Amino acid sequence: MNLSPDPLIWLSAFLTLCIFSFLYRDNPFYRFAEHLFVGVSIGYFIALNWHNVVHPNLIVPLFQEGNIIYIIPLAFGLLYFTRFIPKLTFLVRLPIAFLIGWGAGVAIPATFQTYILAQTQGTLLVGETFTRWDTGLWALIVFVGVISTLIYFFFSRERKGIFKQAANLGIIFIMLGFGASFGYTVMARISLLIGRIQFLLGPWLGIIR
Amino acid sequence: MNVHGSVEVNMNIFQRLTKIPRQIIFLGIALAIIIPLIVPIGIPVNVMPQSEKLFNAVDKLGPESDAVLISCDFDPQSMPELYPMLLAILRHCFSRRIKVMLMALWPQGTGMAEMALAEVSDEFDVVNGKDYTFLGYKVGQAAVVLGIGESIWDVFPTDYYGTPLDSLEMMYDVENYRDVSLVISLSSGDPGFRTWVIYAQSRYSARIGTGVTAVSAADTYHFLETGQLIGLLAGMKGASEYEVMVQQRGYSEEFRRAAQGMDAQSLGHLLIMIFILVGNVGYFMIRRQK
Repeated sequence: MNLSPDPLIWLSAFLTLCIFSFLYRDNPFYRFAEHLFVGVSIGYFIALNWHNVVHPNLIVPLFQEGNIIYIIPLAFGLLYFTRFIPKLTFLVRLPIAFLIGWGAGVAIPATFQTYILAQTQGTLLVGETFTRWDTGLWALIVFVGVISTLIYFFFSRERKGIFKQAANLGIIFIMLGFGASFGYTVMARISLLIGRIQFLLGPWLGIIR
Repeated sequence: MNVHGSVEVNMNIFQRLTKIPRQIIFLGIALAIIIPLIVPIGIPVNVMPQSEKLFNAVDKLGPESDAVLISCDFDPQSMPELYPMLLAILRHCFSRRIKVMLMALWPQGTGMAEMALAEVSDEFDVVNGKDYTFLGYKVGQAAVVLGIGESIWDVFPTDYYGTPLDSLEMMYDVENYRDVSLVISLSSGDPGFRTWVIYAQSRYSARIGTGVTAVSAADTYHFLETGQLIGLLAGMKGASEYEVMVQQRGYSEEFRRAAQGMDAQSLGHLLIMIFILVGNVGYFMIRRQK
């Protein structure tokens, strides 16, 4: 064992153990660490955004370089604060409308291309897919999975006969999807725990590298 | 009497199985994580095809290739999964003398990138501006990704340290995605790999690879199937696979942080599977006896 002489490492270890103490039950150490984290996060986020967003993108070009055109985004941004003035509240719609208009215009075609066209294209069964038996089999499973899942979400027709069987098959694919997601979520949470334990055993206690 | 007694005992056992105190479960998980970290078992790391694809995409590049753009779209909360990926990819690129541009769509990503550069750059004797450039963070998410498609110089007139791009040797020939051989987004949410796929891949046909947290891995595979992503590292497992490949090919002998955690990961999963099985057996047996 080779304990760290660095007080910051000790502080980190103490706060980590405070958070872990919640696994036993709620206690003042946990609440102290939780409140400290919230406060520090907000302070850090404000400072980070000031230095990385507001200062280089507004303060410098407008007030130091004298680009007058930056008054327009400044004014648009300030309009958000009219929400606090009852008589002028309606003005907040202007920046919101601008953002929604820009966002929708940019996002809709690109999202449609990425999520609908390219994905549909990838689902189609073409001759090339079957040049190897394994890729052909997987493509067929994907095809059946997509069709049966879509049928499951088709609510405009009563489920009976082959339609019901296809919807039931869709449920199986959906459940497999949920299972895969849950498995990966467990893996992610264990990974985070491993990261903290590596810190406690490594830099703090010096037991591992 | 015996029959009733036996049923009662069985009921108690099965009820206990469904009501294991959570503290016991936490203790079990903690031991399953701590013990293999201290006493490694050495469970081999199998490399998955999606990780190998990303590795090979980088491995085909060399000093004459266009630069690789790595976007650090994560924060310290995702460090155990994504930071080892960043280190391994940087080591791979620097050992092959591939030029690297680093940037971030998350403001906290700049800290991750700067820390990784400090850790790796000394190992390979690489020079800022010649072998790599750290562009930093720019607000705008989709606008940033679209902007790079037109001109990276407009989006990042200077690097993270305020040096104009025209003072950085490696940036002379870089204008937009046509001059980037590969974009790798290390992503723990939005903006992240989806932003790159939606705007850089679909609009500018940029080649995108990604490393994601395990939570979002299941939502990533369909992009891989369609070729919208050229490779994928999923969680700490993906990071350990990349580390193993980098070491096996002799690119780096440095400590493998993610691979160290894989024994613990495997034992943790095994224990959780046992708990799930035990809980279900108890539940079904109680229902059957009722």
